[in-house]
Amino acid sequence: MDLKDIFWLSYRDLNEKKVRTALTIIMVIIGVAAIVALTSFTAGINNSITTQLESLGPTAIIVGSIGTAGFTPASVSAVSSLPNVTSVTPLLTGSAVLYAGNQNTSVTVVGTTAQGLQQLIGNVSLYQGSAYQDTIAPDAVVGHSVAFPTSADGKQTITVGQSATLRLGGRGGTTVTVPILGILPAIGGLLIPIDTGVFVPLQAAEVLLHRLSFNEMLVLASSTGSVNATASLITTIYGSSARVTTTSQLASTASSIIGSITLLFGVIAGISLLVAAIGIMNVMLMAVMERTREIGIMKAIGFKSSHVLLIFMLQALIIGVAGGVAGIVVGATTSYSLAAVFSGAGSTSTTTGASASTSGSFRSGGGSSGGFSGAGAAGAPSGAAISANTSSGISFKPAFPLTTIVAALLIAVFVSLAAGIYPAWRASQMQPIDALRQL
Amino acid sequence: MPKETSKYSVIATGVSKVYKMSESLEVDALTAVSFKLKQGEFVAIVGPSGSGKSTLMNILGTIDKPTSGEVYIDGIPTSKMNGNELAEFRNKKLGFVFQSYNLITGLDAEKNVELPLMTASLSDSDRRDKAQKLLVRLGLGERLKMRPTQLSGGEQQRVAIARALVNNPALILADEPTGNLDTHSGDEVIKLLKSICRDGHVTIVMVTHNLDIAKYCDRIIHIKDGKLEKQEVLA
Ligand SMILES: Nc1ncnc2c1ncn2[C@@H]1O[C@H](COP(=O)(O)OP(=O)(O)OP(=O)(O)O)[C@@H](O)[C@H]1O
Ligand SMILES: [Mg+2]
Repeated sequence: MDLKDIFWLSYRDLNEKKVRTALTIIMVIIGVAAIVALTSFTAGINNSITTQLESLGPTAIIVGSIGTAGFTPASVSAVSSLPNVTSVTPLLTGSAVLYAGNQNTSVTVVGTTAQGLQQLIGNVSLYQGSAYQDTIAPDAVVGHSVAFPTSADGKQTITVGQSATLRLGGRGGTTVTVPILGILPAIGGLLIPIDTGVFVPLQAAEVLLHRLSFNEMLVLASSTGSVNATASLITTIYGSSARVTTTSQLASTASSIIGSITLLFGVIAGISLLVAAIGIMNVMLMAVMERTREIGIMKAIGFKSSHVLLIFMLQALIIGVAGGVAGIVVGATTSYSLAAVFSGAGSTSTTTGASASTSGSFRSGGGSSGGFSGAGAAGAPSGAAISANTSSGISFKPAFPLTTIVAALLIAVFVSLAAGIYPAWRASQMQPIDALRQL
Repeated sequence: MPKETSKYSVIATGVSKVYKMSESLEVDALTAVSFKLKQGEFVAIVGPSGSGKSTLMNILGTIDKPTSGEVYIDGIPTSKMNGNELAEFRNKKLGFVFQSYNLITGLDAEKNVELPLMTASLSDSDRRDKAQKLLVRLGLGERLKMRPTQLSGGEQQRVAIARALVNNPALILADEPTGNLDTHSGDEVIKLLKSICRDGHVTIVMVTHNLDIAKYCDRIIHIKDGKLEKQEVLA
């Protein structure tokens, strides 16, 4: 017997009961969409964190000030003179709103040296334009999602060479016109607001933010082996007036958070797949019972048990593949909207007003530190590592590695086939005499 | 035995069927039924309700097994075959016509007739050709694409006969094929079966309650209380 005929008979059965088939497929879609949305979502967060950690490098130590005092140029040179310290980059951060055209975007102003900017983006080249020099002029380099805001569907709204207006200090604050010199490549915004940052020279930031002290120092140790020793040395020097965080601490915090998210998501996806499996089995058993007579006729006219088994297994396969493919699409769409919801929180909007103040709610209560304040002073990083740095929302793209898509499809097919085995077997074992006797 | 059996299309030897209802209750549906049918014979089985006619038909059709005895079809003993062998055997040698037509409601007339051909390796166009020709021959040329629910009882039964015929079987088993039909359509179905016997080499065994219909046949087998009461040869 041709597989083509078996397929045709299976398909016909499903096609005849459209509503029932659609409902069964929807059950699979929900399960698969859950898997795809959740894994791509976590993989996206993971990628974003990895990119950032990589751009910072494994030897980076972030020192954030606690309280209003901040760090001075003297602190920078003091830390620079510690053993095994290669460089110290001071950072001055504050929140602001950037106006360009009819777009207003809540951003983090980051003042740092030209060299510091290169270190933050991991010495890769700019997406467009060029970096600024160390001047007092408020030359700006903007993060990728500032130039390509999600509220404009990722279209470019800021171009190199134009000027934008920066309003500092919330409502009634000062406004400054800044020339846009460059646009950064997409790096992420989860740990450090790079994608949502507006970078200006350190001296310019001092003027703009009316501060002469820094709230962050990015310290690079000379080797990965000396990172921990250097970090504890800095901790002893500053005690409770600074948070010292290494990239490996950030990485472990991030991975433990992602681990628990993944577990939660996995349980949800698993339950929905189990429900789908039970649903498929139930629907197929019903279909087999309904078709008892037809099965009897087919067997009487010469269909073998294996033919009947195949017809029903193929139905399960069709449901699995259809549900799997549709589930991947639905899951992908869902995770993009999830990502948009997250990164849309306080990021960009076309309305005027309150966006600057909403950004504050994402920050930890750590005094004036607006940028990446690091986490846990004494090597006990907390969940604040992520939420503390999102003054302009979490920006990341969900990731769809081929393995996720293939695995989701395989799981859908496997679950459907597993659920179909028993009903299909029941059908194949029906005796024509019993099947025909039933009226 | 083979030499002797091959002359006959159907040989039943001592076929008995006992339904064991419980430890103490057994129903003897058939008791030691034996007969031989020649190739191309049109045979009627008559008898009161519950006498075992359907039981006998199911056993001849290999969809039920006798408790004892043997049925040879085209000289081939059937009682030792397994499920798959029987399926293939039924596909090649047997055709079924039921009282309630038993067409597949989701398939049109043509596809219903094609169904037994699906298990054979036949090209799609050959298959369609065969089914169409047969349906045209049975006067259903205008009904090829209609579903059973769109056909009259007589038309449905003719589709069922086409389905039974399509694989050129040795034996067609028809259990009360006119039971659901009015006199006119019933007569047409019987004439059709009769003509099939005439110009083919097909043997037809038909159960009927109607003695007028049985008169069309070459032979009438009377069953009573599960026993072969008598055989009447008419032709
Ligand atoms: N599966 C079964 N289990 C138990 N007894 C059965 C079964 N099938 C048939 N019988 C019994 O066997 C006997 C013969 O039944 P059968 O159906 O062969 O009669 P029939 O001659 O076809 O009757 P009718 O003319 O009403 O169709 C009956 O007494 C019936 O009750
Ligand atoms: Mg009967």
